[in-house]
This record gives sequence, structure tokens and C-alpha cells, in this order.
Amino acid sequence: MTADTLDPLIHVPARLQIVATLAALPDGDALSFTRLQDMIGLTPGNLITHLRKLEEADYLTSEKTGNGPASRTSVALTHRGRAALGIYTETLRGLLKGL
Amino acid sequence: MQGTYDRGTSESFEDEGGLDPREAARLLERTRREARRGLDFRSPGLSLLAAVGVLVGFGAVWLSVRGQHPYKGPTPAGLVVLYAFVLIRIGSVVYAHRRAQAGISGRSVQRRQAEGAALAVALVAVYVVMAALASDGASDGVVYGVYVVTATMLVLGTFGAARSAVREDWHELGVSLAVVLVAAGSAFAGPRGVWLSNGVGLCLVLLGYSAAQAWLLRAARSDA
Repeated sequence: MTADTLDPLIHVPARLQIVATLAALPDGDALSFTRLQDMIGLTPGNLITHLRKLEEADYLTSEKTGNGPASRTSVALTHRGRAALGIYTETLRGLLKGL
Repeated sequence: MQGTYDRGTSESFEDEGGLDPREAARLLERTRREARRGLDFRSPGLSLLAAVGVLVGFGAVWLSVRGQHPYKGPTPAGLVVLYAFVLIRIGSVVYAHRRAQAGISGRSVQRRQAEGAALAVALVAVYVVMAALASDGASDGVVYGVYVVTATMLVLGTFGAARSAVREDWHELGVSLAVVLVAAGSAFAGPRGVWLSNGVGLCLVLLGYSAAQAWLLRAARSDA
């Protein structure tokens, strides 16, 4: 088994942090964009780019509520995203055992 | 716009590649630990504050009733100290909880609201039964001593135990069961002693919990 077997969508520091942080929430919960940014410490532009990639892969969903300055975006891990993190973690364990 | 993102934004960032599996495992573990800690309102400091508060609050009531023969119940001064502790405890938990849960929405928020409503109804029921006991002619020692403290702590302890069992939070379950045991055992101390016994017993339980939380935090930091 090699590092290539790890899900390339998650095997990037920023996206690994995003997915692991969202997975710490109970199933069915969402986190606001600003809180996620505070917790991970990414710039808004960088976070947006990584969120978009994860959303395109159906690993997370985003929901925008409100209009104007009061608008707020929340992101949540989908079942697919949670399962992908589980597989990634198992693959990583297998790789580390082999090293 | 702060707090929102536009799917049409054209900014582009290269993926930071080259993650070694060991680095990835460390990053994953550290992120999980920090996320759990950031989303959890509990802390050694909060438990320590509760330990001191329960000792002072119940101790003040015990001082106000220990010379009563026959037992009449806590004096207004004792109750003021006890209620001040209760308000400080509620305020500190609400503040810490709001900070930890900022930005979270979804099912768990509704579940917590339902849990809060269930606890409030159970506590109101304790005081309704207290009024019924008083009107049925039960002695002040039973109504305003043994019953009110024991029943309140049993409700809080069993509520906490059920909640933590559902969440598979074994540390919290242990603390909640210890609260139930202290409350049940203290009922044998009589109307005056029940205040002191609960105050000292709960203080020790919370001090132990605070020390365990601090130890776990230190162990997690040293693993990082």
C-alpha cells in the first residue's frame, strides 16, 4: 500500500483539517464559515477554494441564510464525506503499520 | 462579505501537496483533538469553580441550620448564599457553552433545548412534590431538609448520567453517578447533616473531575 491510495481530496493539509473539524460535530450539525475559519486559521479565500472542492465531491454541503451583511453560510459534512474520512483514516493506519 | 462564500469566486489556490503519511496522521489527530476541545464547554477551571461554589453554598445553609432544634429550614441568609452559587454556576456554564457552541446549528441544538425542557420539568416536579409533602403534614426536617436536597441532586445526577450514557461520554457518566451516590448516601445524614454531607461530597467529586480533566489535557498536549 502506498500514499497514492489515500483519497487525494482529503490528503491535503487544509482539507484534512476542514473535514476532521467538521467530523467533530454531531451528525446533522453545521458550522458557520467564520467559526470554521477561526478554528482552522485559513484565510477566507483559501478556505472558500477548499470548501468548493469538497462540496463538488459531495463531501460537504453549504447553506446560506439571510441577505446582505447579516447573511451567514454554514457548512456540514455529508454522510459521504464522513465515510470518506473513515476510509482515509483506516488507509492511513494501514500505511503506518507497513512503515 | 464576512461569513459567506460565493461559489463563483475566481480566486485560485494550489493544493499543498507532499503530505507524508506520518505527518498526515499527526495533523489529523491534532485537528481532531483541537476541534473537540474547542467545541466542548467543559474545562478544569469550570469544574473547580463548581467545586468551590457547592462547598460554599451548601456550607452556608448548613451553618444556618446546624443550631436549629427543632429543624425549621434554611435561613434567608443561608439561602442567599446558596442561590448566589446557583446563579454563578448557571451564568458560568451558559457563558462557556455559548462560546464553545458559537456558529453551530442543526439537530444537536434542538436536542439540547428538549433536554433543557425535560430537566426544567423534572426540577419543577421536585418542588411540587415538596409542596405536597408540606401540605400533607410532613415534618420541616423531611420537607425542607432531606427531601429537597436529595431529590434535587438525584434529578440532576440521573439526568446527567442518562445524557452522558447516550453520548458515550464515560467520564461525565462517572461524575453523574458519583453525584447520585453522594445524594443518596447523604440522605442518611438527617435534615442538618444532609447539607454538609452533600456540600463536602459533591465538592470532592468535582475536585476529582477537575483534576482528571486537567490531567487529560496535559497528557493530550504532551502527546502532540
